[in-house]
Amino acid sequence: MPDFDCSRIRNFCIIAHIDHGKSTLADRLLELTGTVTRREMRDQLLDDMELERERGITIKARAVAMYYEHEGTRYELNLIDTPGHVDFQYEVSRSLLCCEGALLLVDAFQGVEAQTVANAYLAMEHELHIIPVINKIDLKHARIEEVLEEMHQSLGIDPDDVVKVSAKTGLGVPDLLRAVIDRVPSPKGDPTGPLQAMVFDSHYDDYRGAITYVRVMNGRIEPGQKIRFLKGGTNHEVLELGQFRPRPVRCDSLGTGEVGYLVCNIKSLDLVHIGDTVSTAHHPAQPLPGYRVPKRMVYCGLYPADGQDFDELREELTKLSINDPSFEFVPETSEALGFGFRCGFLGLLHMEIIQQRLEQEADLDLVQTAPNVTYEITTKNGEVLEIHRPQEVPDTGSIDEFRQPIVRVNIIVPTESIGPVMTLCQDRRGEPKGNEYLSPSRAMVTYELPLAEVIYDLHDKLKSITRGYGTMDYELIGYAPADLVRLDILVNGKRVDALSFICHRGDSDRRGRQVVKKLKSEIDRHMFEVAVQAAIGSRVIARETVPAMRKNVTAKCYGGDITRKRKLWAKQREGKKRMKSVGNVDIPQKAFLAVLDTGEKK
Amino acid sequence: MRSKAVPFDATSSAPRGAMPRAAYVHVPFCRRRCGYCAFTVLAAHDAWIPRYLAAVERELADLGAPREVDTLYFGGGTPSHLPRDAMRRLAEATTDRFPLAENGEWTVEANPADVTRDWCRTVRERGVTRISLGVQSFSPRKLRVLERDHDARRIDESLRLLFDAGLDVAIDLIFGVPGESVEEWDGDLRRAVAASPHHLSTYGLTFERGARFWGRRARGDITPESEDSEAELFERAIDVLTSAGFEHYEVSNFARPGHRCIHNETYWLGRSYHGVGPGAAAYVDGRRMMNHQGVLAYIRRVERGESPVVDWEMLDAESRARERLVFGLRRLEGVARGAFQTRTGHSIDDLAGSAVERFVSLGLLEDDGSIVRLTRRGLMVSDAMWPDLLRPEVAAPREPARSNRAENAP
Repeated sequence: MPDFDCSRIRNFCIIAHIDHGKSTLADRLLELTGTVTRREMRDQLLDDMELERERGITIKARAVAMYYEHEGTRYELNLIDTPGHVDFQYEVSRSLLCCEGALLLVDAFQGVEAQTVANAYLAMEHELHIIPVINKIDLKHARIEEVLEEMHQSLGIDPDDVVKVSAKTGLGVPDLLRAVIDRVPSPKGDPTGPLQAMVFDSHYDDYRGAITYVRVMNGRIEPGQKIRFLKGGTNHEVLELGQFRPRPVRCDSLGTGEVGYLVCNIKSLDLVHIGDTVSTAHHPAQPLPGYRVPKRMVYCGLYPADGQDFDELREELTKLSINDPSFEFVPETSEALGFGFRCGFLGLLHMEIIQQRLEQEADLDLVQTAPNVTYEITTKNGEVLEIHRPQEVPDTGSIDEFRQPIVRVNIIVPTESIGPVMTLCQDRRGEPKGNEYLSPSRAMVTYELPLAEVIYDLHDKLKSITRGYGTMDYELIGYAPADLVRLDILVNGKRVDALSFICHRGDSDRRGRQVVKKLKSEIDRHMFEVAVQAAIGSRVIARETVPAMRKNVTAKCYGGDITRKRKLWAKQREGKKRMKSVGNVDIPQKAFLAVLDTGEKK
Repeated sequence: MRSKAVPFDATSSAPRGAMPRAAYVHVPFCRRRCGYCAFTVLAAHDAWIPRYLAAVERELADLGAPREVDTLYFGGGTPSHLPRDAMRRLAEATTDRFPLAENGEWTVEANPADVTRDWCRTVRERGVTRISLGVQSFSPRKLRVLERDHDARRIDESLRLLFDAGLDVAIDLIFGVPGESVEEWDGDLRRAVAASPHHLSTYGLTFERGARFWGRRARGDITPESEDSEAELFERAIDVLTSAGFEHYEVSNFARPGHRCIHNETYWLGRSYHGVGPGAAAYVDGRRMMNHQGVLAYIRRVERGESPVVDWEMLDAESRARERLVFGLRRLEGVARGAFQTRTGHSIDDLAGSAVERFVSLGLLEDDGSIVRLTRRGLMVSDAMWPDLLRPEVAAPREPARSNRAENAP
């Protein structure tokens, strides 16, 4: 069927905060355009991974082609689904590049949230035409007028432009389709020019290899064509072209402005880079601007609880990385934990998602170390080091400058929480960048904060201060020097490498005390006294003692008790095997996250 | 392990021929259940007694021809709760199958509230030699918390009756009852010593699944004493009782010279024994067996002609040796290397040499080269040692195979 005349193509995405109804709206659009019949409709069709369903987050971008007859003309509408979370900001920006318009979806009760603002700004930066939409207008507690005001205040949106819908009931959705056709510009491009197509997503199919999602900017693609990934530098033959409707449907070509997939017998997702440009192999065009190598900002160690599972863990991690090249892992060794892997993630949510997949898909008992951000160090002899784990920090004497990633955080809170939220950000070494009232009841607070503070406890704290109403979003803005130190934890005088962490010198006493106190409560009494210390270099800054066990003796041991007790004791040995031993001290698995303990009850 | 029938394992290396010289009979009846009790017990269900007796008689009969034993033990529950005729019938059925050797030891557990002159005469006539009296405490407060139905006066009275009847007397004491001070425990110890029993056992209060205290603790309604204060009370008991002339011969057991409980030593020395009645354990021909714990289920199985055994296991020689080492070490005289090897075919050093060495260096065991025994500190924390003695020594962690040295994703 394609290629289609550009003037009858509309490429758009939906941007929204979690739970504001993006997936439901997508379902209604598919239904109304006849792309999917009601009978075929599974709720929230686009989120087809179990995990996405569970968390209500769309992780991987998809694109669906819909055909819709409007006033006698047939239009091709490509809905490009974008991930909603900041960890995938780069992927979001690549997806936005493929669109001319965006539906900015806001919940009629929840109102504007931090993610709404972040993504709306991103869409504006990409010069997308924005169609503001208020969803869930059928809700009893809908506060449409106030939300209109919030949208005006925070994003400068004209209330007259806002389309009001209920994605659940379908109310207003035909008007929205009309708005998409009338207001979203058709794609510009040169259908006869050299081929340039933007890679905005990919996934791995066990039978056909990498499936590459592209938007054709100029020229056209056909099966049999020899193409080249300009950044990746590899050449391939196009075996199949198609569109998702929403099942994959083959087509003969993809023309300028169109969105679809290519299959080229590519055996590894490693070769497909999000943001890369596809052109012809013989006469390659210029690459499209803006390509970046995704940077892993959060690292943690993953170790098999049982050393025997090392190879199995490697297999599982390899499987995950095939489908998600932004996740990386390298083998590492810890004196305390043995053989495991240092894993890099785009952000905290990305880390949680990978961990959950591991838990769901692999039956492995894992020990995780506390996550840390990627630091930079310039040494006295001018060398620049990228630090992925605390153990890599060199001696204080050889450090010229220690830098940490800084993020700009937007926090939207009920107005009565502004004070406490500002105190929280101040405590976390934040620099205020602005306060803005969105409506009489809600405000946006902007700070620049160390990313390390954000991954430490900022989100939890924010939720508790605002009783769950606060939302936040952040973007990386760069690195800044800071007075950072590595804190080591010693158990009976022996350094436990996996427990070392980096923190601000000014926080080191407090953090050190908290961690040793937490460890004291996690480590069972032993047959001898166990000293837990926190130290910077050779200077001990905090100490707790786990006293020696005083009484642990079974009193009654007669006839039937013999078997029972023998089994119980033998089983305790198995339990001990799963703990990690440092010297003669058994440290339970969850103690390796003690570093994250803030010492306060949640 | 579960099985309907108990298979005969001809390949086992269990000590054959040595028929048990001890038998245990479980009497599951009580007037009422105490809060801390999680035993196989039927409280206020005396109507079951006749069917129970018939079942025990049948189980005994199924064991085959009579064989003499050195010790008999009626435990419970509360064996003294049985009415006089029932007691006679049970005693008779037991000695028909297990005639007691001359100078044999026959213990019956009793509740102070049940001990009368008549009861003493009844058991004496049948040949009972020793009474284990469930004193638990002399303190009215502790007895109330423990939900016992006797008081200190009743204890004194029953002790006098037992002594008068010429019976050996063993008493039980519980410490670590919530709210217990060292002074209160000292009072118990003083009165126990003054009562001058032949034997004394003392246990820290435990919270076991199946007991009412378990749920009360979970609800925060009752708070166990701290590890430190329990340790203090236990050490206090050891000091007071040993200086009063009792021999501390097992973790929880103290005896006047010549008055150890021979029957219980059977368990600790890894010797075989019979067990009859619901929940009773037996160890015959290297096979450990356990009868169904439910009283009614036990009765029904026996009535239907089925074996009442529901759990059994056959230990290999090494496991038997390890078990013997652990339970042997719980006897304070310790384990003699030579005798252990002769008896089990294994040497202590091969089984657990490095663990023993480590515990010696931590001051938990003493080892003079021929005998290994617990120190006082080792006794106090002995449960923490047993896991290392019951399992083979762990090998040092191995580097994982690195045949395919892919450093990262494909």
